[in-house]
Amino acid sequence: MFGTLFLKECKQVLRSMVYYIYVVAFVMFLSSQLGGELTDKMEKPVPGQGSYGTIVSHEESVVMGNIMANLVGETENNSYATYPLGFYKRVTLNEEELSQVKEIIENCTGKKWEEIIGEMEEHFSGYDQGTVEGAIQAQMEYRADVKDTLKYEDFCSSMEKVCQLIGAGSSYSSKKLEAGVGAPMSYEQALEEYEVFCREDKVTGATARLFCDYAGIVLSVLPIFLGVTRCLRDRRAQAEQVIFAREASVFQIVGSRYLANVCMAFLPVVFTAFVMQLPYQFHAETLGVAADALAFLKYSFVWLLPEIMAVLAVSFFITELTGGVISIFVQVFWAFASLFSAVGLQGDFALKLIARWNALGNTREFLRQRQELFLNRGFYFGLSVLLLILTFAIYEKKRREGGSIYGKIFKGRK
Amino acid sequence: MDTRIEIKDLSKNFGRKQALSHVNLEIGQGMFGLLGPNGAGKTTLMKIITTLTKKSSGEVKLCGIPVEECGKIRKMIGYLPQDFSMYGNMGAYEALDYLAVLSGMNKKERAERVTEMLEKVNLGEQRKTKVKAMSGGMKRRLGIAQAMIHNPKIIVVDEPTAGLDPEERVRFRNLLCEIARERIVILSTHIVGDIEATCENIAVLDKGEILFQGTVAQLLEGVKGKVYTMEVSTMELPMIQEQFLVTGILTGGSTAHIKIISEEVPMEGALPAGGDVEDAYMYLMNHDSASRNRA
Repeated sequence: MFGTLFLKECKQVLRSMVYYIYVVAFVMFLSSQLGGELTDKMEKPVPGQGSYGTIVSHEESVVMGNIMANLVGETENNSYATYPLGFYKRVTLNEEELSQVKEIIENCTGKKWEEIIGEMEEHFSGYDQGTVEGAIQAQMEYRADVKDTLKYEDFCSSMEKVCQLIGAGSSYSSKKLEAGVGAPMSYEQALEEYEVFCREDKVTGATARLFCDYAGIVLSVLPIFLGVTRCLRDRRAQAEQVIFAREASVFQIVGSRYLANVCMAFLPVVFTAFVMQLPYQFHAETLGVAADALAFLKYSFVWLLPEIMAVLAVSFFITELTGGVISIFVQVFWAFASLFSAVGLQGDFALKLIARWNALGNTREFLRQRQELFLNRGFYFGLSVLLLILTFAIYEKKRREGGSIYGKIFKGRK
Repeated sequence: MDTRIEIKDLSKNFGRKQALSHVNLEIGQGMFGLLGPNGAGKTTLMKIITTLTKKSSGEVKLCGIPVEECGKIRKMIGYLPQDFSMYGNMGAYEALDYLAVLSGMNKKERAERVTEMLEKVNLGEQRKTKVKAMSGGMKRRLGIAQAMIHNPKIIVVDEPTAGLDPEERVRFRNLLCEIARERIVILSTHIVGDIEATCENIAVLDKGEILFQGTVAQLLEGVKGKVYTMEVSTMELPMIQEQFLVTGILTGGSTAHIKIISEEVPMEGALPAGGDVEDAYMYLMNHDSASRNRA
């Protein structure tokens, strides 16, 4: 019975207008983000290139120099960028707080504030500030080195004090420090990175990661509409009572609906990933690399499927519980919170719904964080199963008692 | 093999409101009519029988199986709710096939049974007609087909003829009588005509209590010798309606031909007449309401 129901549910999804809107929105978003040419970023580095790009560095001296440079710049302008609730907020300090921050900087660098500013101005004057490239290069390469005797732990506690003055969500939190900093790559580093890119990623692995990064954003919201539509359909069609009274178990009814929606939501993802991978698969040959032809499938399966499962499980659970569209608002809020709580655009997966890796390559850093990604996705897989079991319980309760559970709870309180 | 529905001391409360109070019923094979005004508790009783609502107390057994055993009960019941419909984008065949899958039928069984049922309810030629394009009558016929698709021992139909035109109503009643030959069919309605035309055994429910259970003949016995007809002036009508239970008025100019139910001869010129089920039902409802008010 389950198999037949599953196929019938898939057919129903295919007939739904919401599904086609889902597919179009997904493909359009991906095309707009990944439509550009990436192959020029896959070339083997050659000595003497102007820039080799950046790499995430966790080296303590690099982290301290980079973070301190950022702090000097923000303090000079008395304008601190913070993201307390995921949204940008500019913080300006009063005279007393500002002098406290300057004092911390002086203690860390072992130099007077005027001296630090003088060095900064000297650094920036060496670049062509009239061009965007020059300004970016100057910013990227500016470092305010801390004194040799400063231990990393002491630096961290100093930054903790800065955080207390600036407020939550600043660039100096321990989480930010742990995430590492972007540092310019040398030729040797770039070459090494390229070799890992060819050997481990086989080109298509890196493009699949970038695909998952963008797809993950849009998939944190879109599937919710499929779930809500399915759950509300019985009542809207006045078919709820007739279905409740049938022999099929809750596992068969709700399980087949959930699985069909997961599969149908995943189908365009796999298809789009496959189509978008093709040019890079051929490009790999020109680089002399045997591309991983199944990279799109592997990454989509591990990275995006648990997200689709979780979003649909949330929609099934909340919609069956409340009988309304509230899960759309919950999911949009959750997606935004996840998107804006990211410390950086690469890694720091923790338990975020949207796993980000907005880079082509950076393979070694990804391999370092891969385990965390697996744990994150495993968590969402588990959460989906848990929510689905709770949905079974709610559906069965409604089936035996009628109406929405939320309504009954609310009514009982009056 | 037990082919009865036994309901003993059944009560159902929704918060402080008592929807059913100490209901006792025994329903055997054939058509059984459950009559009562809107809000009498008929739908609640139907929902308890079909496992869609839990009882507060009492005992309900269907063919010897307690209603708590939902899985077994759902296998043996077919339910046509008051406001039945299906997914609008499904055709008649597809909708029936989907519900047949939910009833645990395999592909071969479905292929035979779905076609057979569509023919039976006269929807054979409309097998591809979308549910959203169906008339009220077609939807009801599809509804009875889905209730019978898995050949259940018990079929529960809740207000099936409400909103149907007279022709559809008669056709639907005949269909119900036909399917009731080999199973229990409970027809819940507030339309007396439906009961009169189809049921031998009935129960009358009001305010959650059973007012009457028996045959139609026994119900009619209650108004025997209490129905009168008379010719009155239309000016007198309001006064007469206040004093007596008037079950029929046929006005013609300044006079009206009325039907009255009264324990004794209501007034001079009143002629004894034969009562029908509607008169008996009205008398029962009015009589019981009056005795309840007195109590």
